[in-house]
Amino acid sequence: MTNTHPLIQVKNLDLHFGAFHALKNVSVDFHAGELIGLVGDNGAGKTTLIRVLCGIYAPSSGEVFFDGKKIEKFHPKLAIDQGIETIQQSVGLCDNLSIARNFYLGREPVKRILGIPFLDFAKMREKSTRVIRQFGLRDNVSADDEVERLSGGERQSVKIGRAVEFMNRVVIMDEPTNHLSVREREHVNELAVQLKEQGLLVIYITHDIFQVHKLADRVVIMENGAKVADASTDAMTAEELEEVIRQGGRLVEKREAV
Amino acid sequence: MKQLVRSQGFGAIIGVVAMLVVFTLIDFSGWWTNQTVANVSQFTAILAFVAMGQALVIMTKEIDLSVGSVYGLAGVAFITLEPALGVPGSFVLALAIAALVGFLQAIAVVKGELPSMIVTLGGLFAARGIIYVWTGGSVHNFSPAARSHPMTRLLGGELFGIDAAILWLITVAAILGLLLWATPFGNRLLATGGSRESAESRGVRTDRIKIAAFILCSLLAGFAGILTLCNQPQTHVTLGENMELEAIAAAVIGGCLLTGGRGSILGAILGALIVVSFRYELIALGAPSSWYITFIGAVLIVAVIFNQKLARFLGHSA
Ligand SMILES: Nc1ncnc2c1ncn2[C@@H]1O[C@H](COP(=O)(O)OP(=O)(O)O)[C@@H](O)[C@H]1O
Ligand SMILES: [Mg+2]
Repeated sequence: MTNTHPLIQVKNLDLHFGAFHALKNVSVDFHAGELIGLVGDNGAGKTTLIRVLCGIYAPSSGEVFFDGKKIEKFHPKLAIDQGIETIQQSVGLCDNLSIARNFYLGREPVKRILGIPFLDFAKMREKSTRVIRQFGLRDNVSADDEVERLSGGERQSVKIGRAVEFMNRVVIMDEPTNHLSVREREHVNELAVQLKEQGLLVIYITHDIFQVHKLADRVVIMENGAKVADASTDAMTAEELEEVIRQGGRLVEKREAV
Repeated sequence: MKQLVRSQGFGAIIGVVAMLVVFTLIDFSGWWTNQTVANVSQFTAILAFVAMGQALVIMTKEIDLSVGSVYGLAGVAFITLEPALGVPGSFVLALAIAALVGFLQAIAVVKGELPSMIVTLGGLFAARGIIYVWTGGSVHNFSPAARSHPMTRLLGGELFGIDAAILWLITVAAILGLLLWATPFGNRLLATGGSRESAESRGVRTDRIKIAAFILCSLLAGFAGILTLCNQPQTHVTLGENMELEAIAAAVIGGCLLTGGRGSILGAILGALIVVSFRYELIALGAPSSWYITFIGAVLIVAVIFNQKLARFLGHSA
């Protein structure tokens, strides 16, 4: 890779949900300016892995380094402050709040009156709709509408728009094209490549190896909570990688038996 | 207008109008007297403080059962500490005690990951117990000097011919309304109640939001207790008993959802008005006072059904 040290380095990560062993000794490096495809079947542990990176889960053991520094405390706020922006799967939107309020949740723009921070409603409305429109928000939906009333695709467009607005050093996309139309899907894929070309690290999660092979510089495959492959897309074809996924479960069991 | 109709308090506005129409029809001469209006608005103001605090906590998807005891405890503290500290000193300390109770309960809920229903039920008993021990069951009064202290008059008397409690309510409600609707804190509070996971994933420190809501709730309950005693400076051990139920009823009638994330300050105030009006009017009509509790129960259930239908009609979940 171009950079000498990885932007995010994961070392021997283990995570247990009670008795369930969700991540098994995962080690992986991610570099700035890379587009990584993180691939695996449903339940492979992709979401769990990136939720450690964005501070939602703390690992049971193992280490995560960001920009060379070891992460001691895991909280989404800390990850966000370090420049990690995530399009989460299944969480991230509060149904009871408007689009504009969701868009800026946690980082609300304010206008100070007598030193008191008041929400800058005009900016929240204007900017959020302008950004989200690019990703498939219909014209008759307003920034004041509650997220609850949106379709799956529109909800996704709010999350994607938000990541674009706040993108910083890392953008993690957890199955970003779910619920999207073909055209919006292409738009998101172009976006991923653009972000990478701007020097960001992009981690793109999907269970469709063929989709991500075209975009990614490198593909990491997970199965049953373990990493089973980590290969440059120049080195392996999508078909070869698909074969790895098919074999993945067995490989993990073999390795565990050793 | 659209904002108002879609706000959580809209059902309560309809409820208040309907109630006033009914009371006017059945008891015009009794209801619209200066005496009744003055009493109802005074009691409403006091309950509304407690209900607003309750509403904030309910909006974070928690509940505070201790508010009646905190109301009583702050009142007792305010009166009994006055000889030693003076009116301003005991005012500050009484509020500090209320805030401390809120803080301790919040820590147990947030850090101990305990249900607020249980923690604040404990708080209800504990604070009430302290009242008994502290007062020894006896009645305490303000000295004449304390009664005529400017601060006592500012909190408990009349200003421009209007009960001070009502003016305080308007002021505090305006501040809380702005806080909830127009600041980042309010946005995060509603988000915490709407979906804690999602709020956390956006970097919101939902623990801190909940702690703040519990402290605000206790402060408001304590302030209401102090206001009451500035008006009638005499404590008794039952001060604020059952008030938690009235406050929860008021918040819920006012459109607060126990599932969190939805509610309004205006709704809590109107809910308090409905609860107090029913209590007052039933007694005025000669119903045995014990019936009032049953009535409030019925009103509560009707209000919840009504708010739900209204929300569905307006196109958001209830
Ligand atoms: N919070 C949780 N508690 C318990 N089990 C979980 C939790 N989150 C995920 N899991 C389990 O961990 C496994 C991996 O889930 P996940 O990381 O979401 O998979 P993927 O994103 O690859 O589809 C699944 O078996 C899932 O049921
Ligand atoms: Mg997943």
